[in-house]
Amino acid sequence: MHSIDLDQAATTALDPQVREAMEPWLGEHFGNPSSRHRRGVAAAEAVDRARAQLAGVVGARSEDVIFTSGGTEADNLAVLGLARARSARGRKLVIGPTEHAAVRASAEALESEGFAIASARADAEGALDREHLTELLDAETVVVAQMLVSNEFGSVYPSAPLARLVRACAPNAALHVDAVQALGKLELSIGELDADSLALSAHKIHGPQGVGALVLAPGTSLRPLVFGGGQQGGRRPGTENVAGVVGFGRAAELAEQLRGRTLEHLRELRLRLATGLARIEGAHLLELGAQTMPGICTVLFEGVPAEVRLHHLDERGVAVSVGSACQAHDSDVSPSALAVGLDADAARRMLRFSFSRHTTAEEIDAALAALEAVEGELGSLGR
Amino acid sequence: MTSTAAIGAPEMVLIRYGELALKGKNRGSFEQALMRNIHAATRCVGEVRVERRRGRMAVFSERRVMDVARRLQDVFGIKSLSPAWGCAVDPEEIADLARRVLADALADFPPEGPITFRVSSSRAEKRFPLNSMELDRFIAERVLPDHERLEVHLDAPALSLGIDVRPERAYVFVRRLPGPGGLPVSTLGRGMCLLSGGIDSPVAAWLAMKRGCRVAYVSFHSPPYIGERSKKKVRDLVRVLARFQPTSRLFVAPFTEVQTTIRDRAPEPYRTVLYRRMMQRIATRLARREKCGALITGESLGQVASQTLENLTCIEAAADLPVLRPLVTFDKEEAIDLARKIGTFDISTRPEPDCCTVFMPGRPVIRGHLAACEEAEATLEVENLVKRAVRGTEKLEIESDV
Repeated sequence: MHSIDLDQAATTALDPQVREAMEPWLGEHFGNPSSRHRRGVAAAEAVDRARAQLAGVVGARSEDVIFTSGGTEADNLAVLGLARARSARGRKLVIGPTEHAAVRASAEALESEGFAIASARADAEGALDREHLTELLDAETVVVAQMLVSNEFGSVYPSAPLARLVRACAPNAALHVDAVQALGKLELSIGELDADSLALSAHKIHGPQGVGALVLAPGTSLRPLVFGGGQQGGRRPGTENVAGVVGFGRAAELAEQLRGRTLEHLRELRLRLATGLARIEGAHLLELGAQTMPGICTVLFEGVPAEVRLHHLDERGVAVSVGSACQAHDSDVSPSALAVGLDADAARRMLRFSFSRHTTAEEIDAALAALEAVEGELGSLGR
Repeated sequence: MTSTAAIGAPEMVLIRYGELALKGKNRGSFEQALMRNIHAATRCVGEVRVERRRGRMAVFSERRVMDVARRLQDVFGIKSLSPAWGCAVDPEEIADLARRVLADALADFPPEGPITFRVSSSRAEKRFPLNSMELDRFIAERVLPDHERLEVHLDAPALSLGIDVRPERAYVFVRRLPGPGGLPVSTLGRGMCLLSGGIDSPVAAWLAMKRGCRVAYVSFHSPPYIGERSKKKVRDLVRVLARFQPTSRLFVAPFTEVQTTIRDRAPEPYRTVLYRRMMQRIATRLARREKCGALITGESLGQVASQTLENLTCIEAAADLPVLRPLVTFDKEEAIDLARKIGTFDISTRPEPDCCTVFMPGRPVIRGHLAACEEAEATLEVENLVKRAVRGTEKLEIESDV
């Protein structure tokens, strides 16, 4: 059965050019970057190059890039590491309304260390409620975490205006931005975003799974989560995943080169999907906030829970998701959906279609045809 | 015509240069060097356009203007810089833009309490209907009613709204970011820095660049007594230092033969001084080839045994060029502070041996005599050793990674 993957926000296929860059480091060049012999130094040089590639893409300095095991670890390192490094100044965290579980759960883990957690609210349009946020921010606040692109709705939360609000109202706070879904789609410069840290992941941009990075603004200090041999300046020790970070560096570079075209392509795909959905009764494409990253389309349906439609589509070779893939492990509804003003019932009827630069217009058409067939099959259950 | 529209990214970065403007006849070439260095420093962010204007420069970028500004903070010769927004040369339009720039700037202040404020205009466009003082007043009258918290204060205000009226466009700015000062790299000739991998020599190179020197580097490598990681450490140091000048050339000179020969034939206490005399000779040869007018070292008086006045005299006697020692009167802490600021400290403190630590004598001479050095060298075939080292030298071009 031909398979159409419209779940590209969950993961993306490895780009052949990325695989090609990685291969030598899985085979002939195998080495530990900490070894003192030439083989080791060659591996260390490869890690340095990857670091410089990624730094270049996000306008950071090489020494401010910390490779991790993925976006989740990057978010954890930021939330826990920044909060602990600043705990003498205050013990409060403010997190965005639609944060990924990697941020939300690590913030909650700090409650046992005496930190208080406050959640920012979305306004009626789904954007950040600035007034409410201003009330939450104070000198006690040491970390503010706000994602740049929502993994569930594609909504964009501009970082720079938020950063200024944080500096003005919470002078002791660091701003952490989860940019996992923004990399390769939006211009990402840590300076322009005015963030103190940026979480990134390789496998969302046709890089390998198991690699991510936390990028820091110059001079930002944090407490490590793991301890060991002092690699990466002691901020994230452990032998580097050489092939993985080489793949990440290459994937980031490629994604940046293609970024303009990718965004244009995603816009066209979104428009195609929206046009097709207009023919399907009861389907409604959500647009939250002032700006949306077009590669993530969340569609509200009527009738049966989204889970049922997901399996019907899967049966026809079309992969989509309900809420985020990570959320799909929980039986409960997505807290982000509730935060942006949907009720629990609506939240259970949401399907996410997500695209990457590899997605084609034909795949959208085929998915729409499959969806129409599913609606026919569901009949009155579909409404 | 009050506008509440949010303000976008700045249009350009306005640069002020300090001493540069004082250099009379050389000004043209100083400005050209500064422009070249600006292009090089911002290369990784994107293409920029630089315009020269009486005593200032404007750097335009299609994207990432704030990233450009950050890079410019590392360009020697720049005293301060301001991201600026532009509008048509019309008093009302300037007032409208000023209002929005101010509203934006106020977001950086705590939400309550008074903020001291002033307007300071400069006017290159003399046909503009208002002179600077009149424009200051005109703008203040139009922005103050919108912002109750602003209190006019001409001396040391917390917020200074700058206005620059050019013939074709007017610019408004508030933030003033510090530049590194100094003189543009390349305006005061070239120097060859002896880079050891320690804390001091990268700082010495940086200080020489700060005073307009373009720096090339030579490092001495003694395989297989020391390994590839020591070489990588030096490369990494040069990569950081390359942020401050367009590209950097690193020479890696083989030093094993020199060191083993001295170890085997010269009196032990004199070894370190003799190694260093050989380094000066090799560095001098390479420097001449590279048209460098001086050697640069990280030596500091009294810091280690080889750095007494007597030993420095012995070492310098082997150099055929002036030796600049920017750190000669520095305390260790001062050098460390600068190394941290430059970004070389964490690399310098990596525990890699260099060619000197491995071949260190047991009891080095503290007050060496030149005659004793020359006597010891008489048996060494100095010229042949130098020639072979120069011939075996590896040349690397290193670019900054940021």
